[in-house]
Amino acid sequence: MKKNNYFGMGFKLMVPITTGIIPFGAVVGTLCSEAKFNFVQTVGMNIFVYAGAAQLAAIDLMTKQAVIMVVVVTGLVINLRFLLYSAAMAPFLKKSSLLEKFIAAHLLTDQSYAVMSANHDKLPTAKDAVKFYFGASLCMILVWQLSVLAGFTFGNFAPPSWGLDFGVPISFVALVLPTLKNRKYVVVALFSATVSILLYTVPMRLGLIVTATLSIILAMFLTRKKVL
Amino acid sequence: MIDAHYFWTIIVCLALGTISIRISIIAVSGRIQISERARELFSYIPAAILPAFFAPAVFYHQGQVSWLLGRERLFVLLLAILVCLKTRSTVVTIVFGIVALYSIAHLTGG
Repeated sequence: MKKNNYFGMGFKLMVPITTGIIPFGAVVGTLCSEAKFNFVQTVGMNIFVYAGAAQLAAIDLMTKQAVIMVVVVTGLVINLRFLLYSAAMAPFLKKSSLLEKFIAAHLLTDQSYAVMSANHDKLPTAKDAVKFYFGASLCMILVWQLSVLAGFTFGNFAPPSWGLDFGVPISFVALVLPTLKNRKYVVVALFSATVSILLYTVPMRLGLIVTATLSIILAMFLTRKKVL
Repeated sequence: MIDAHYFWTIIVCLALGTISIRISIIAVSGRIQISERARELFSYIPAAILPAFFAPAVFYHQGQVSWLLGRERLFVLLLAILVCLKTRSTVVTIVFGIVALYSIAHLTGG
């Protein structure tokens, strides 16, 4: 590796991490084709929204003909976590141009945030950190888009009996478990699962938003009072 | 074919909303500080919403595998939780889930 090639360093460090998003992207691509999205719609969604978990939820809701407001609010609630990543990235981008800030913001993902936070002590200046971040983010977006396109193509031929749609719940399991850092998170997750099962018959899948709201209120309560 | 107006309205709103969230603090960097309390609550967002997607979908799914009373998805999901906790790998967990479901549905005679 060339000395001070922080862009390349970021790209390379992201490679192993992206193995985790290949099946996830493939699931999104498969569902796009199962939902009868055309090629332009699939690519458009992945370029303009570029947020896998929110897309999974949105695709799921769209196939159920949920009202527009519910799909949008659900997707944005899922993406609220980017607020935290935005805060974490902000110090590095203070002196960047508006265009750079915009691109960096759009490329924010769980993975690019994670690799940045794990390596920022190896990056001497904010400028190096931004290069590193862009390298990592380029790797991430390439793997994501290719995985989605592969899933989109493959999904067209995959028989329903293969049960690939089961990749949705399984993907969410794989996404949520690493975030359960202690018993309080586990309690919130179990609460969310239980309430969502109880509210499943609520029309327009509004039960989802009610569940998320109640779960966050529970999290506020759990972190305020030291009950566990 | 999904209704184009329905689809693109959602995509435009999601795209604008998502970039607004992503750029929010970056845009005002230096002028604002997120409190520790807010950070803590943000970290609960995945736990608060993600189970609401997979829990009911799997809980209410009626399958065909008689020896599991048609609850093969719930069974495999519970196994996948163990696999994920053990391996800490998204790839392994997803591959396991899909292969296990397929195997149970097709190889155990349904």
